[in-house]
Amino acid sequence: MEDELVRLKSAAFRSLDSIEQPDALESFRVRYLGRKGEFTLLMRKLGQVEPEDRPRLGKLANNTRKEVQDAFDKKKYELTESDGGKGSGVVSQTDLTLPGRAAPFGKLHPVTQIMEQVCGIFEGLGFAVAEGPDVETDFYNFEALNIPKHHPARDMHDTFYISDSVLLRTHTSPMQIRAMKEKSPPLRMIVPGKVYRRDSDITHTPMFHQVEGFLVDRKVSFADLKGVLRVFISKMFDKDTLIRFRPSFFPFTEPSAEVDIGCVICKGKGCRVCKQTGWLEILGAGMIDPEVFKMVEYDPEEYTGFAFGLGVERIAMLKYGINDIRLFYENDLRFLSQF
Amino acid sequence: MKFTVDWLKQYVDLDITTVELTSRLTMLGLEVEEVRELHTSLDNVKIAGVLEVKPHSNADRLTLCDVMVGNETFNVVCGAPNVKAGMHTAIALPGAILPGGIKVKKAKIRGEESYGMLCSERDLGISENHSGIMELPDNFECGMDLVDALSLKDTAIEIDLTPNRPDCASVIGIARETAGFTGKKLTYPIQDEIPELTGENIPFSIEVESFDDCPRYAARLITDVKIGPSPWWLQKRLLAVGQRPINNVVDITNFVMLEYGQPLHAFDFKKLAKSKIVVRRAHPDEKMVTLDGVKRDLDSKTLLICDNEKPVAVAGIMGGESSQVSDETTEVLLESACFNPITIRRTARKLNMGTDSSYRFERGVDPGGTVMALERVVRLMIDIMGAKVVEGGVDLCEGVKPRDEITLRVQRVNDLLGMEFTADRITDFLTGIEINVKALDKGILSVTPPSFRVDLEREVDLIEEVARLKGFNEFPTTLPSVPMSFPETDPDWGLRKRLSSVMTSLGFHEAVNYSFISDQHFDMLGLAHDDPARNVVRFFNPLAEDQNIMRTTLLPGLLENICRNINHQNREVRLFEIGKVFYPRQGEELPYEPLRLTALLTGRRQPGSPVLYYGGEVTDILDVKGVAELLLDELRLPEVSLKRSPDTLSYVEPDSFVLIKSKDTKIGEFGKCTGKMLKRFGIKQDVFYLRLNIDEICRLRPAETVFKPLPKFPAVKWDIAVLVPEHVGGGEMVQAIMNSGEKLVEKAEIFDIYRGKTIKKNFKSVAISVTYRSEENTLDDNMVGVAHKKNIELILSGFEGQLREE
Repeated sequence: MEDELVRLKSAAFRSLDSIEQPDALESFRVRYLGRKGEFTLLMRKLGQVEPEDRPRLGKLANNTRKEVQDAFDKKKYELTESDGGKGSGVVSQTDLTLPGRAAPFGKLHPVTQIMEQVCGIFEGLGFAVAEGPDVETDFYNFEALNIPKHHPARDMHDTFYISDSVLLRTHTSPMQIRAMKEKSPPLRMIVPGKVYRRDSDITHTPMFHQVEGFLVDRKVSFADLKGVLRVFISKMFDKDTLIRFRPSFFPFTEPSAEVDIGCVICKGKGCRVCKQTGWLEILGAGMIDPEVFKMVEYDPEEYTGFAFGLGVERIAMLKYGINDIRLFYENDLRFLSQF
Repeated sequence: MKFTVDWLKQYVDLDITTVELTSRLTMLGLEVEEVRELHTSLDNVKIAGVLEVKPHSNADRLTLCDVMVGNETFNVVCGAPNVKAGMHTAIALPGAILPGGIKVKKAKIRGEESYGMLCSERDLGISENHSGIMELPDNFECGMDLVDALSLKDTAIEIDLTPNRPDCASVIGIARETAGFTGKKLTYPIQDEIPELTGENIPFSIEVESFDDCPRYAARLITDVKIGPSPWWLQKRLLAVGQRPINNVVDITNFVMLEYGQPLHAFDFKKLAKSKIVVRRAHPDEKMVTLDGVKRDLDSKTLLICDNEKPVAVAGIMGGESSQVSDETTEVLLESACFNPITIRRTARKLNMGTDSSYRFERGVDPGGTVMALERVVRLMIDIMGAKVVEGGVDLCEGVKPRDEITLRVQRVNDLLGMEFTADRITDFLTGIEINVKALDKGILSVTPPSFRVDLEREVDLIEEVARLKGFNEFPTTLPSVPMSFPETDPDWGLRKRLSSVMTSLGFHEAVNYSFISDQHFDMLGLAHDDPARNVVRFFNPLAEDQNIMRTTLLPGLLENICRNINHQNREVRLFEIGKVFYPRQGEELPYEPLRLTALLTGRRQPGSPVLYYGGEVTDILDVKGVAELLLDELRLPEVSLKRSPDTLSYVEPDSFVLIKSKDTKIGEFGKCTGKMLKRFGIKQDVFYLRLNIDEICRLRPAETVFKPLPKFPAVKWDIAVLVPEHVGGGEMVQAIMNSGEKLVEKAEIFDIYRGKTIKKNFKSVAISVTYRSEENTLDDNMVGVAHKKNIELILSGFEGQLREE
């Protein structure tokens, strides 16, 4: 019995060694390890041995069979799993070309994304985020910002009116007045929000988004304004983005500037988007006008400050190459899911 | 403001390229919007002499012309009525591509050879005139390039002028700035002394009622006027900036307006009653017909120019028809005046008349240049049409106030700009653009702005000039040193971000809709006529009738978005919007603007997920409930309840309406939209909605988060399977177990609900898994058994339950 076991074991190992193809595995299994295989047959003979030898031989037979089984399993793994799956058909395989199993996230609206990005940069510089009312008084939207009733600058703001003195804000700047009336300097604020103008075409929608920022303290200079905007632009775009400041006019700042960045599309070579100038206008800024300080009872001799404002859709359009502003308000998933 | 480079050169020597010019102007705050080379497509257009004109054998309206170009003679077929032998005209030779896109080729026209095309001014893009081919002076040599003959080569530049710079609404103004940065001298068209207008011995009279409305009014009389076309040089200037030449008198006044920035008007003197001009406000109900033939209703705020009887012009805006210059005019009274900008602006707005003249008056015309511009017109009229000027004239200037001197502190300049300028450097900058500067004490300058710079009134205005002239890009960049402080951000802003991130992680895309909707949307939602949501903020000048009120609900916008997406074959949509709604407040000027979150779900349960794994199951009410629960979990509000409410909304299925409360505060709701309402929005599939009132949530204090130690002993799960009548709520059974007071119960969860053949009718089998755990020891079967038995009894007695026989 013992001899037979030893012979069977060495025969099995020899046979296993000679197997090179996975399809030969099955016949080996049937021959040695199957229900009618050699080991089963041999173990049946256990009944015929002396009763006192039975436990010892039984254990030995089981161990030998296990050795062969382990060797077989090892061989099978080598021939099927480890060779890059050439042996498919023997074991079932996961098709990794199938899509992953997960339900997708939704996306924030590109306007929100840009707004959060802008506010995030300024929050890092210690600016507080505040939102003002969309429906404003003529006083906050115009008068207090040094735009009296018959000022030609009102032409720049085609306004929706609720009554003679109440309107939909045309910019986020009224929040400067609200904040300054409530608090004393130093002040650092960033105001994201919706603004409204009576205008509708491929580059204008009657509602759009702005972010306004301002800082007031003693000894704030135009050079400081430039510094803060440079930090912002280098974070928002690329750190090598070219920047230029041009004189402009806003009734509530003086000096007033338009800020251009090197065209992000053509990198300054000149293209349709930058009208061949190589520059893109992205924000308006300036030193807060003394008249505005007088309106909120700050002493313009003691305090100076700067303010800036930018159009969120414009930035999004430049960043993503969107060519029609109306797409922002159709909420088509084919649009929203891209950002 | 448009001008051309050639025109600019009349007043200042230019030795820089156009590119440099435009970039310098832009960087000085005169933003160049457009640069256009004029007449670039007139290659191959030459001066031609017409030698002979013969009839065309096959066409009555065409003629056959022999034309001479240089030394050659060509046959050309022409259809113009004015073609005649001996005339000089323009010919486009084969190969020319005209501005309108016409490619000129050698062609056969009705059987006759035509070598090129004789052109009208419109063909060549020179003017709108298409009445016949161009008639050119005989002294032009045949064969010359038309561009050279007419000196057409030029570059038109358009500047987007900011409202504070009316001085640059003139070519001289731009020349002055150019002279400033090039260091060249500015040459004015008139350099000698001009006569003083004393108002003595003249055949007309002028009366100004209020010098506040009209600070200055000057007038002179011109006789021997011969109305006719202007000379080419003058027409060319006007055409280059997009103005249509009319006649010599009108063209000259327009030209001088563009040159000096001073609007001028010429009245037909013979049509002025009693040779008198009165500048006054309109009488109530007064009317007049303006040059454009429109009858204008005037009000007492309108400033008029009148003769002895009637209005003859709306001051500063447009002349009247009655005194208009016509072909018969032989004497004109020239007006050069300065009007109050606010008066002009109010009237221009009221009458909806924006003219080149009102544009300038609204922004402020140089009160010091009134008479100079008038003199320029007079001299041009004498030169161009041989007119005569009546000696003397009127100049009423009581309203012109002397300019105050402005004190400019060098230290203030440097503090505000972050620079280190000296007094001398500042003086150099300002005097370079004709601003007078005197040094007073150390570090203090006294500045008198010139009359044309109406925008310079305060110290800060001068500081801006210094910055502008230095160039903004020359300034250093520094970062402000502000005391450290913690930014107190609006709570709304933070909450909005947290909620948005929950929504997007649940597969919702964020929508942004306009804040305005229309009354019709309320009808579509089926709101009753007295529904509080119909109490709205309304604006009186909407762009479109479907956008005339501020929204009181975010639903219409989102429903329209759903419809749009379905129409574009996207039927699985999860959208949310966080935005303001607007409610008028009694006794308050401004409305209440609470922030709302509204979400809509429709189509597949997991939009955009692989169908292979997630299948095609569609959203039901429990999906919305799940979203609500996760949002509430994020908010950690105290004592939150979701309860079905009997008082539903018009657009929600009655048995699906659930109110969300924290303690007693209603903070939101959800439900299933009615099919009837959806149909009105063009939607034919189930849509579920959820709303949270973010304003209310902001006012609630979130529950405190308190740490619970992790359990030390293992838990045991035992199941209960029970038959209960259909009306019993599964959640209620779970709640009952949780609230039973049995200390060992840690959690109860339904894991199966079964209705089928083996189950009694109107009953369902509910399988609940209960987790038991003790904080003190490992549980054995006895301990769990006691608790579990109690729970089974609770279910059986409390919910009409029966145990399922296995």
